[in-house]
Amino acid sequence: MAEAGLTSKDLAQLSGTAELMERLWAPCRFGCPVHADVRSYLECIAQGRFVDAVDVIRRNLPFACVCGRVCHHPCEANCRRNDVDSAVAIRELKRFVAEQAGAKEPAVRKAAAQDRQTVAIIGAGPAGLSAALELAKAGYRPTVFEKFPRAGGVPATAIPVYRLPRDVLQMDVDWICAHGVKLATGVAVGKDKTLDQLLSEGFSAVLIAAGLSRSRPLPLPGDQGAGVHGALEFLTAAAMDRAPALGKDVLVIGGGNVATDAARTALRAGAGRVRMMCLEASEEMPAFPWEQAEAQEEGIEFIHRRGPTEVRRAGGRITGVATRRVTRVFDEQKRFDPRYDDGDVSIVECDTVILAIGQAAEYGFLAGSTVKLNARKQLEYNPATCQTNVPAVFAAGEIVTPPGSVVEACASGQRAARAMDLFLRGLPIVLDDVLPPHIDKIAPATADLVRKVRREPVAAQPPQVRRKNFAEVDHSYRASTALHESRRCMGCGSGAEVLTDKCAACLTCLRVCPFDIPVVTDVARIDPALCQACGICVAECPANAIVPRGHEPGWLGRLTAAALAEGSPKRIAYVCGHLASQDDWLARGEGAPGVREIYLPSMGAIATGDLLAAFEQGAEAVFLLTCQDAAERYPSATVRLRKRAAQARQMLKAAGIKSNCLAMFELTRFTRPAIRETLAEAVAKLAAAKTKAKAK
Amino acid sequence: MIVAKKKLIKEIAESLSGCKRVLVVACGSCVTVCLSGGAKQADELASQLRLAARAAGGKLTVDTDCMERQCDREFVSQLTHDPKNYDAVLSIACGVGVGFMSELFPAARVLPGLNTTFYGAATADGVWEEYCHGCGDCVLAMTGGVCPIARCSKSLVNGPCGGTTKTGKCEVSPDMDCGWHLIYERAKAAGRLEALRALPVQKPRNWAKDRSGGARRLIHKELTNPEDGR
Repeated sequence: MAEAGLTSKDLAQLSGTAELMERLWAPCRFGCPVHADVRSYLECIAQGRFVDAVDVIRRNLPFACVCGRVCHHPCEANCRRNDVDSAVAIRELKRFVAEQAGAKEPAVRKAAAQDRQTVAIIGAGPAGLSAALELAKAGYRPTVFEKFPRAGGVPATAIPVYRLPRDVLQMDVDWICAHGVKLATGVAVGKDKTLDQLLSEGFSAVLIAAGLSRSRPLPLPGDQGAGVHGALEFLTAAAMDRAPALGKDVLVIGGGNVATDAARTALRAGAGRVRMMCLEASEEMPAFPWEQAEAQEEGIEFIHRRGPTEVRRAGGRITGVATRRVTRVFDEQKRFDPRYDDGDVSIVECDTVILAIGQAAEYGFLAGSTVKLNARKQLEYNPATCQTNVPAVFAAGEIVTPPGSVVEACASGQRAARAMDLFLRGLPIVLDDVLPPHIDKIAPATADLVRKVRREPVAAQPPQVRRKNFAEVDHSYRASTALHESRRCMGCGSGAEVLTDKCAACLTCLRVCPFDIPVVTDVARIDPALCQACGICVAECPANAIVPRGHEPGWLGRLTAAALAEGSPKRIAYVCGHLASQDDWLARGEGAPGVREIYLPSMGAIATGDLLAAFEQGAEAVFLLTCQDAAERYPSATVRLRKRAAQARQMLKAAGIKSNCLAMFELTRFTRPAIRETLAEAVAKLAAAKTKAKAK
Repeated sequence: MIVAKKKLIKEIAESLSGCKRVLVVACGSCVTVCLSGGAKQADELASQLRLAARAAGGKLTVDTDCMERQCDREFVSQLTHDPKNYDAVLSIACGVGVGFMSELFPAARVLPGLNTTFYGAATADGVWEEYCHGCGDCVLAMTGGVCPIARCSKSLVNGPCGGTTKTGKCEVSPDMDCGWHLIYERAKAAGRLEALRALPVQKPRNWAKDRSGGARRLIHKELTNPEDGR
């Protein structure tokens, strides 16, 4: 990437287009199935703009609240902070803003007119509702049919409430429906009406997003009869408050996330002992490590590397499960191909068995339809167009993709919606799945220079309490911890970019960079994978040849103009908006009277010329508020700003303007009252100087 | 590299007196590198001029532009503003740029925004020092690479004047190194003190090769064109 080079002409062409900010993605965004703009929403959170953050999240992810609770967060796995200390707690931050701010003031952007074709969607899970939302935003009229009485799909029927409270899910469903998505719950397609009826009744297209709603059976001798439950059926019954009575000694067979959910739910439903038995060793288990750990903390025991052969019964009652030793689970190609040692057998005692060895589709909705299944009893489906054998019938979600998480289903639904839009407009279905480039891992030498900041932990209920009830396990962040955690984001990929045609190879960037990133060959080269986005070189480059990748050209001037346009007196403060860590930060309204505050990700980016420009734009006074933390995060930024302020004061004085109109304050206490007091004092001082001058 | 320094705003404002529209033109070469005449400095100067005009109760339109080098006519095409639309063009190139621009735009009033000071090198972050005087008769082979013409206040070629302080500074200013002290230290470090001592006394220099002989010219015959009259 570094060698490609951007010219000022390229920049002018990109200016104002969506591509401008898509030049280089951060790995968190790249790794996210719906490509949520993580960097942007973390910056919103860092500045206390929680409502804006939710808005940014929901541009890509309709299930912001659900994913805040249960997402498998590939963003965090890809976070470059992993190589510095530990990943930013992106999911927890999402949870905090989605539930705090998203519920209060959700921004709903309906289509200007919703007058295009009607479409039917089967299944109100993440895939179906995501598709419905996209179609509604594009002006279509979607109706979502759901066989269960409640919308939400797996999050509503199979994710236990201790992980995902129902009201949290409902926030997302309500927000989606507010866009003109019609819900028809309790309607089973294939039973109440056929799929072909939908098409003949006026729906121009149908999307099948029915998911996997039943447990895959495991034919074992003795599996028929009381005491054997499918995990999904068990979880759904529990979710509908109709959990079957369990025995005292439950054995869950399976090692995935559904198995863990079933085991933890069984524990809460009153089972005395719950054990999980799986073919895999601990490190081979498909369940997420944190799920395993939480289950273990709650007292669930794991039996690894045993395969069931029979459910033993005595007088109809289950007495145990006969098992044999597993010698291997996967073959050399890592394909599932278990082998057993029949000489090593044992009985695991239990009185209840829950089978959690996988999910299967339930094809009841196909009854009386011309949509076909293939030889493997799966929907006939073209992944390139998302179509089934019937051109107007599309499919998305787990019914056609490998089992995954909520966010993956959302992505699948959104992709199908794009295909349906093309189809409904009579265009060939050609989906562009190419993504922008993303930046690489951080180099060890640079990682060493990045200030280490401990990840904010999340308080959890103690295991001995939580195993007894369905109350949520984790507590959310508080505002102060959310602010602090979000400021750990390194803004990857938003750093400096050289305009190769303007660069004079003067070496200034190389000399001022606190992280030793720029190299100058023919022109300066700033590796985006290393740049920490402090903005110092942008402010110092004499050729105006360095631009911040994360901002539109002229962004600071526009922020300033907007603040000045708010009215008189025209006093502005540029405030370090990235490293404060106080609850009272939220009280944005309680600023010093008559000073408009502008929050910046790094104060190091303010150039001497920007300060002069603010006065040109009509500012009567400009205050700069920096903080101790920022000085540590971006070494030398404060010192350089101090020098630029001195230079600007000199230039103002030479131009006949009172230089006391520009003041800088280096705060050691970065709280709202401290900011307010500092600004109030600065204003008072200015007024006193004015009075004195008049008296003279 | 040619090093230049910003003129005082007061002097520039006086030179622009009576102007309503001014174009500040930056130069993307030496003066960008020494942070005096780049595109950023052009923007700053433009801001400062507008603010000064406003403070004085007037109004001044100031636009900015930039050329890769103001000393080559081909780069004129990079200008996005037409000098003829302005009452004055304020060039923040070195004097070469100012002079050449006024030749290229005879109808425009081209004024200098910088004082061109010396040929120098960056000796520390934000610091440039004079290394060469452009005398036309280089003696660096004799002095171990330290120029007595540029670095001795008196441009002496036969050793120090006797005004060197104990700390090796020039009697002209305690901030200034004595050029001959530098020459001595350089030779000592290189183990060439004997060679320095053995230098024959230099005959009076031919200063005609410097400015005294009038404006100088360089001609590469292999590249000249008959239509240019060469």
